[in-house]
Amino acid sequence: MKIRNNIAMLIAVVISLLGANATVESQDLPLSMILIDGEKWELVSADHTFTEGPAVNTAGEVFFTDVPKSEIYKVDLAGKVTLWSDQTNRTAGAIMGPENVLYGASIGGGAIVKFDAAGKPTPIVSDIVCNDLVVNGAGGIYFTDHGNKKVWYVSPQGQLQQVDQNMISPNGIILWPDQKQLIVSNTKGSELWTYRIEADGSLSHKQAYSTMRLPVGETESGADGMTVDVVGRLYVCTHEGVQVFDTQGRLSGIIAKPQQKFLSNICFGGKNLDTLYVTTMDKVYRRKLNTQGVRYSK
Amino acid sequence: MSISALRVVITLFCCLLPLSLVAQSPYKYGPDSQRQEGVPQGVVTKHVWDQSKIFPGTVRDYWIYVPAQYDKSKPACLMIFNDGGGYVRENGHSRVSIVFDNLIHKKEMPVTIGLFINPGVIPASAAGAQARRNRSFEYDSLGDQYARFLIEEMLPALGQQYNLMDDANSRAVCGISSGGICAFTAAWERPDVFSKVLSYVGSFTNIRGGHVYPALIRKTERKPIRVFLQEGKGDLDNLFGNWPLSNLQMEAALKYSKYDVKLVMGIEGHSGRHGGTILPDALRWLWKDVAAK
Repeated sequence: MKIRNNIAMLIAVVISLLGANATVESQDLPLSMILIDGEKWELVSADHTFTEGPAVNTAGEVFFTDVPKSEIYKVDLAGKVTLWSDQTNRTAGAIMGPENVLYGASIGGGAIVKFDAAGKPTPIVSDIVCNDLVVNGAGGIYFTDHGNKKVWYVSPQGQLQQVDQNMISPNGIILWPDQKQLIVSNTKGSELWTYRIEADGSLSHKQAYSTMRLPVGETESGADGMTVDVVGRLYVCTHEGVQVFDTQGRLSGIIAKPQQKFLSNICFGGKNLDTLYVTTMDKVYRRKLNTQGVRYSK
Repeated sequence: MSISALRVVITLFCCLLPLSLVAQSPYKYGPDSQRQEGVPQGVVTKHVWDQSKIFPGTVRDYWIYVPAQYDKSKPACLMIFNDGGGYVRENGHSRVSIVFDNLIHKKEMPVTIGLFINPGVIPASAAGAQARRNRSFEYDSLGDQYARFLIEEMLPALGQQYNLMDDANSRAVCGISSGGICAFTAAWERPDVFSKVLSYVGSFTNIRGGHVYPALIRKTERKPIRVFLQEGKGDLDNLFGNWPLSNLQMEAALKYSKYDVKLVMGIEGHSGRHGGTILPDALRWLWKDVAAK
């Protein structure tokens, strides 16, 4: 039986790597494929107020924000944490764009900003409401506007365009590894909305492709930030923990939270991009997994 | 070994493994699953459905089998097959058109049109990008969405061309794995439209919440549904659940609530082989009320 399970797992891995078709039945991706025996959450940084927006540069160093304090910290490859910027104007979500440029959603500034090497922000679009963002390999930006319940797109040329509206509670936002589908998490519900991205950046075929598990007796997932791995798994921060979905939108399992506090955002970091970083209120944790994250290529 | 050579080896391994399992199968196809001399053959045509409003953006192939005995002045029964492409192939696991030809000819099932539908795919917007595969969403989700897709989209399209009976007794839904639970869900949600369910290695497990059916069945007033379940002792035991146990739970719950249910438990794993070889028996059992008329 064990041999059979191993063969089934091998087939599942091989099929997912080859990108084979949907008619294969046993293409399941259990958590056991990514969790490593003996690996646990490891504290990276503490004594913050509200951490958010982990982002990784090409070296594998991770940046995270402390929203109320308008700070960004850098975690180097040795795990050393240093203050990198203290002028973010309450930047929440952050992500690395092309050419190692850090982008952020500045709540205080009402702007999508990019940071220079000294940690100084420059607005790309202003007079907006924003919370989290994702930047594709060409420099196009999608961001969530939780205040107006909308999603926006900023083209690489800086053109702002509303791409969805009348949402319930748009929060986390991420792209599939191939950057042709967008996912938006619904904090106040159970849906993960998936959209196809058209050539002009507009969105089509919105679908609640995945359903998150809710805490018993609750109606809100608490879904916030998300990330993806090379296989196409989706990792979502929720009240229940890090919910992991497979490439067919099915729940593979839930990784327990490092502490019983709100989980805000997530990214892969480290030299080999194989370590999950999560931000949770006052602390940042990391945990090595048996998979790798994705950098959006051009 | 180069990456491309490794890929070839792995691909061959993946292709040959199921074949080797089939070669050892104790389940053989009987005469009803083979072409018989003098039996008139129905006609299968292939189509594409890309107009779905219930599953926006999806594109899917579907096939229609029309038996030789079909007379447009007399309404025919209908049987729908999920993952239709696998069922409609004459060398596939079920050889449905051959079995239909034989059983209809012997009057062991009614004159029945076959509708074989593949799950939808939302094509990618650029070359080289992944399509959004909708099979799990359509098949594993509970609720009436798939039933409405059949009732509001596929049945009217079929009804424009063919004369079909309009009562639930004249309609069956069949599927394998997630397609099996989908067949049950369609009837469970709309027993006024679908009364017969045929499931091979049905995924009554927690892929998207379907493990709750045995509990729902026990506490819900009986619905007019007849259910044939095929399952195998060697079937899956994975993160979603245990297939043999789930099918036993389904059978027990359906019996408890006095449904007309039949479970055939074989020894194989997650394949259509056993279900395919007993398809003639399953069809005789499912259609016994209508064929006798």
